[in-house]
Amino acid sequence: MISSSTSALLIVGHGSTVNPDSSAPTLQHGAEIRRRGIFSEVACCFWKEEPSLRDALLYFADETIRDVYVVPNFISEGYFTRTVVPRELELTGPETHRKSGQAWKYCKPAGSHERMSELLLQRAREVAPGIPEAETTLLVVGHGTSLNDNSAAAAKHQAGIIRGLNRYAAVLNVYMEEPPLVADWLKLTRTRNVVVVPFFVSDGLHSDEDIPALLGIRSQERNGQDGNPHQIQGRSLFYSTAIGTDPKFAEVIIEQAASFETQGQEVESAS
Amino acid sequence: MSETALRAALAKSGAAGIGQISIATREDGSFALTHHEDAARDDLALYANADDAAQLSRFDDAGNYRPLKTAPSLRHGWRLTVPDHRSLDFALDLFYPGRLAAFLAWDRGRLVTTPLRETLQRQTGMYRPAAKISDPEADGLVGSFCRSDGGCLRTILWKRDRDGSPASTLLPPEKFDPAHDQTGLGRPTVPLLCQEACNLLVAEARKIVKCGASADSDTSSEAGEPRDGTHQ
Repeated sequence: MISSSTSALLIVGHGSTVNPDSSAPTLQHGAEIRRRGIFSEVACCFWKEEPSLRDALLYFADETIRDVYVVPNFISEGYFTRTVVPRELELTGPETHRKSGQAWKYCKPAGSHERMSELLLQRAREVAPGIPEAETTLLVVGHGTSLNDNSAAAAKHQAGIIRGLNRYAAVLNVYMEEPPLVADWLKLTRTRNVVVVPFFVSDGLHSDEDIPALLGIRSQERNGQDGNPHQIQGRSLFYSTAIGTDPKFAEVIIEQAASFETQGQEVESAS
Repeated sequence: MSETALRAALAKSGAAGIGQISIATREDGSFALTHHEDAARDDLALYANADDAAQLSRFDDAGNYRPLKTAPSLRHGWRLTVPDHRSLDFALDLFYPGRLAAFLAWDRGRLVTTPLRETLQRQTGMYRPAAKISDPEADGLVGSFCRSDGGCLRTILWKRDRDGSPASTLLPPEKFDPAHDQTGLGRPTVPLLCQEACNLLVAEARKIVKCGASADSDTSSEAGEPRDGTHQ
């Protein structure tokens, strides 16, 4: 149970020194959570922007704050969640006690939340309203091939869950840089309708430019979701913005913080 | 962030601003923020939500993205009015992320600084090579990258190493003086304190090690990093 008067939330994003849109969803989710008044304080910090993770060590100086929930706004566990974030925030384990007595509680990344498949499904329906799912292929797009990149496995996991629901004619995980390639979508799919949802935490070069180009969407038609559907070689292609821009991500972040306590209780009761 | 942070800071220093921002206190207790060069203008675009500070600080006058918010490139042409101290603190934390918290910690004698060598040596992944930068190279890098005139308006509190070597011999003594106005206007000011080298400086150190010189054309700094969040 999170106490609103004694708890704070720190959302950790990657950020970018070249892409001004990279941090926008994290900041928006932070603003939404702040507006709800669930936490005494809500702050965001970034690996490549300010405030840095090191700066975040200086936040939450109010002595009434006893617990700081740290939620990485990343798609999956991996190099950043396991190496960079603990190192920069001086986290020694799931729960780190500072000299002040404050407890910093390291939560699971937003993208690993069990509701992620539900969000992907909702997003798919929103970008292709009224299109029969049984006559549609859903593509969940990951990056792939980055060193220690678990997001490829995460996209595969999500596609598997959605495939198991038997709603869509087919559900495929595809990647920018490794097979099955998003560029091969015409060969990989057989339905007239194809819905594409990038499994990324923010929009940027990949979701704005790279993936549309790999799909064959003409540059003048690359305008987020406004150009849907794109007619390409007899197919109707519906393209979504990155899943991390979904306002429901704010709820997922809150739930990841709340589940830290729930999971802790489960461990206690099992032992 | 304590809502009294800036109130205490302003009262203590007698400042009416921070960095390139002027802060005017109004009769109703609200605050009006402008670029300090715009304080007398009456043709400014008006904003009334503290969250707007995120957008106002994101680009410079030419529309270029500002990854370093303490760079002396704050855009002109706006006035942001916020109703109280809490929203003022919040807005300033968007204009200059983390700087009020650093000031508050420093003011309480609790700000821990980290030498550049320690920051570089704990890096992993693509930034691990940055630790190999030589002392003369680091001296030159910090002297150029962190200079207040065109680089960064922070006041450097960290040293190059545990021996206490200065961050750079190429920077003037006032670059390390919290009482000095880094904008060069000589006003009482709330300093933008720098307790540790930022990621941008670490990235520049890596470029020097990898390329042998400051390489503005090296665009691999983001593409080459291992990542799990596919952040873009």
